Amino acid sequence: MNILQIVQILINGLALGSVYALIATGFSVIFNVLKFSNFSHGALMTLSAFVGYFLAASQGMGLVPTILVSMVCGALVALLGELVAFRRITVRNSPNIYFFVSSITLGTLFEGIVTIWVGANFFSYPRFFPNPTIKLGDLTISTSSLIMFLLSAAALIILAFVIQKTKLGRALRSVSFDRDTSSLMGINVTRTIQFAFIVSGALAGLAGVFLGINYTLYPTLGSLVVKGFIASVIGGLGSLPGAVIGAVLLGLVETGLNYAGTLQGFGTSYTPVFTFLIMLVFLLVRPRGIAGSNIQEKA
Amino acid sequence: MAALIQSIVIQILITVIAVAGIYVLTGLTGMFSLGSAAFMAIGSYASGLLVVRLGLPVPVAFVLAIALSVLIGFIVGLPTVRLRRDYISLVTLGFGEAIIALLNSATTLTGGANGFAGIPRVVTLPVAIVSAVVVVALVAWFKTSKYGRQCIAVKGDELAAKAMGVNVPRVKMIAFLVSVAITSFAGCLYAFYITFVDPSTFGWKQSAEWVIMVFFGGANSLTGSIFGALFLGALPEVLRSLLTGLEQYRTIIYAVLVLLIINFKPSGVFGEWEITQLSPKNLAKRRARKAAAKSKKGGAQ
Amino acid sequence: MALLEVKNIYKSFGGVKAIQDFSLEANTGEIHGIIGPNGAGKTTIFNVISGVYPADEGSVHLDGQDVTKMEQYKITRLGMGRTFQNIRLFKGLTVLENVLCAFDPQSHYSLLGGLLPLPNRFKEEKRGREICEHHLETVGLQDYLDEKPENLSYGIQRRLEIARALTCNPKVLLLDEPAAGLNPTEVGELTELIQMLSSTMDLAILLIEHRLELVMSISHTIHVQNFGKTIAVGTPAEVQHNPEVIEAYLGKEDE
Repeated sequence: MNILQIVQILINGLALGSVYALIATGFSVIFNVLKFSNFSHGALMTLSAFVGYFLAASQGMGLVPTILVSMVCGALVALLGELVAFRRITVRNSPNIYFFVSSITLGTLFEGIVTIWVGANFFSYPRFFPNPTIKLGDLTISTSSLIMFLLSAAALIILAFVIQKTKLGRALRSVSFDRDTSSLMGINVTRTIQFAFIVSGALAGLAGVFLGINYTLYPTLGSLVVKGFIASVIGGLGSLPGAVIGAVLLGLVETGLNYAGTLQGFGTSYTPVFTFLIMLVFLLVRPRGIAGSNIQEKA
Repeated sequence: MAALIQSIVIQILITVIAVAGIYVLTGLTGMFSLGSAAFMAIGSYASGLLVVRLGLPVPVAFVLAIALSVLIGFIVGLPTVRLRRDYISLVTLGFGEAIIALLNSATTLTGGANGFAGIPRVVTLPVAIVSAVVVVALVAWFKTSKYGRQCIAVKGDELAAKAMGVNVPRVKMIAFLVSVAITSFAGCLYAFYITFVDPSTFGWKQSAEWVIMVFFGGANSLTGSIFGALFLGALPEVLRSLLTGLEQYRTIIYAVLVLLIINFKPSGVFGEWEITQLSPKNLAKRRARKAAAKSKKGGAQ
Repeated sequence: MALLEVKNIYKSFGGVKAIQDFSLEANTGEIHGIIGPNGAGKTTIFNVISGVYPADEGSVHLDGQDVTKMEQYKITRLGMGRTFQNIRLFKGLTVLENVLCAFDPQSHYSLLGGLLPLPNRFKEEKRGREICEHHLETVGLQDYLDEKPENLSYGIQRRLEIARALTCNPKVLLLDEPAAGLNPTEVGELTELIQMLSSTMDLAILLIEHRLELVMSISHTIHVQNFGKTIAVGTPAEVQHNPEVIEAYLGKEDE
């Protein structure tokens, strides 16, 4: 293995990791605000990606309109999902259990809709880039990887800015920290939760398009959300920077494992097994993840 | 026709068994596994392979397959039972995906994505009925034992449970392993009824469907959970006979029903009600209590 | 060595020093009152003693055993019972079952007995029921065995928490604001109950309470906490006349 191959793996790993980071942050935004794992996130990615495909890409529009349509769709559907699946149980302060079942059910609903709509077929986006690869000296980089990396990074930077610097972002952080007190301080909690779902949905739309470009579009594409989950567990459940770090690490490790697997002749199919084991070891050694804080229950 | 109905009944009974296992974990203990179907897969494949490849007697294969599942469950549970409950859903989801990847890849052993065929059919209607009754009875006894009580306590308030001397991680582990053993057993029955297994049957959506059944009937009631399994298990067949083409809307109808339940009757169809409350002993107890309350009221007047 | 020995414990959360240098020695038959304004770190003291979280510094010994870093459930089994300020009963269980949960860790039957109706299981369940019914009778709840606690009044729920704590066979009983939310009659009954427990059972009682008439009337020793620090220790009479206490705490009372 020479230096060139290592750089190649690093670049591909970063590109993959940045897509995982979109999934993981979209998932974590909701986890932070409502303290539950949103299992409808995966199916939302699929649904938005398909909407983008049919409304934009298959109409001959380019990558940017496709992404925009998917992001808008993700945001709207997430908003709707919040209303039908989570609003009442949030107001009622129901135990975590109900959010879990609601999110699973909502995910099943989204996936069911997609399956009926498109059948069990595979769809692929038209080629968005005239040149599939870019040559940098001896280095060959796939154009789509590069674009994905750049756009994901841009989206994450915008997200960080919104959360750190804007009024809505401050409200979001405040509601994540303590919903009741925030409400007493005059923050419109429902509006803030809706904002979180819009952000999460838009991220899901973007991630969905990228996954579709990478793996083609099919109704169960959303299962890849598990990568985002693993990334946020490694990074620390509930921490946005942790989610990004975990995702990039996971992307690098997976790319490395895939490469090693191909080299050893058993292909890439064992990679999920290894990543799962890595997560298990992480939980044993450092259960709060890389950047997570210890959540202590109040007595 | 009779054969078709028999086949449907057997499959629903297998679902009932799996859901009884999910009830122990989700209904009693408040934990969610999205990898339960993966333990069903381990049960199916392990028992099938032991019989087909090694020629072991079927009961021995079942016991070994369940033991293997419990062992794997222990390894998966070890890091997770000490943590917040979100982790068990996330970890089991990852586990389920890993198992499916493994089954797909180990082609020489499992047949990969093409599936594993040639398992003898030994599960008949009587076997399925007896199995379901025995499993449901075991779970009902479990619920009213000290173990079941501690599970409910842990679900309600972990901190208070610890303060009462309950070893919370241990209780969670017991619930998880009992659940794993039961779903794995359901997997054994499935393999030896269908005679063919393939990895795609055991994805996280299968696990999610079981959880949904538990909640539909009532997470706090074993009776409700079994009802959920029977009702939602039979629903697609009923839909199919009503109108061809309607069964593809199955998952959507499921989802809408459950969303309605969660929003408007969050305790499920049955709430906390158990069918054992209809037993003569309990009815007599209730009557006595009512009479006592009445006489008290009368005395106060 | 005293039954419960808390030596110079410290506990901080981030920048908040919840406990600074708290010490206490309690023996069987004694009632210790811990008073102080909200946020004085009283519940934190209970949480450290009962093992919800360990102290940053200092030590806790129960009956000669070092329990400073021990897991909570093990401390309970060594002889620690407690109630909670914001009632924490188990939802979905009846009054009797709530108390049985505290007996269950002491009950001897295996998982096989948990899945099958074996004779041993019935014997142990019967033993548990008798013990729990006895404790429920002690606190006066014998008529509510099959009720759901969430349907009962605050006063009854508080008593139920005490019965549940008694079932842990405590040598030390921690009562965290047992009179909060009770009406004057109920407070009177509770006072009698605590005195009765103290005189008839082999226990040391630690009591956090805002109702001064209750604490002052039954405690042997009072610890006054303010902003995490102990500002006075002594008999009720001594504490009541301590100028620092009057200024920090009693002076603010309307009584």
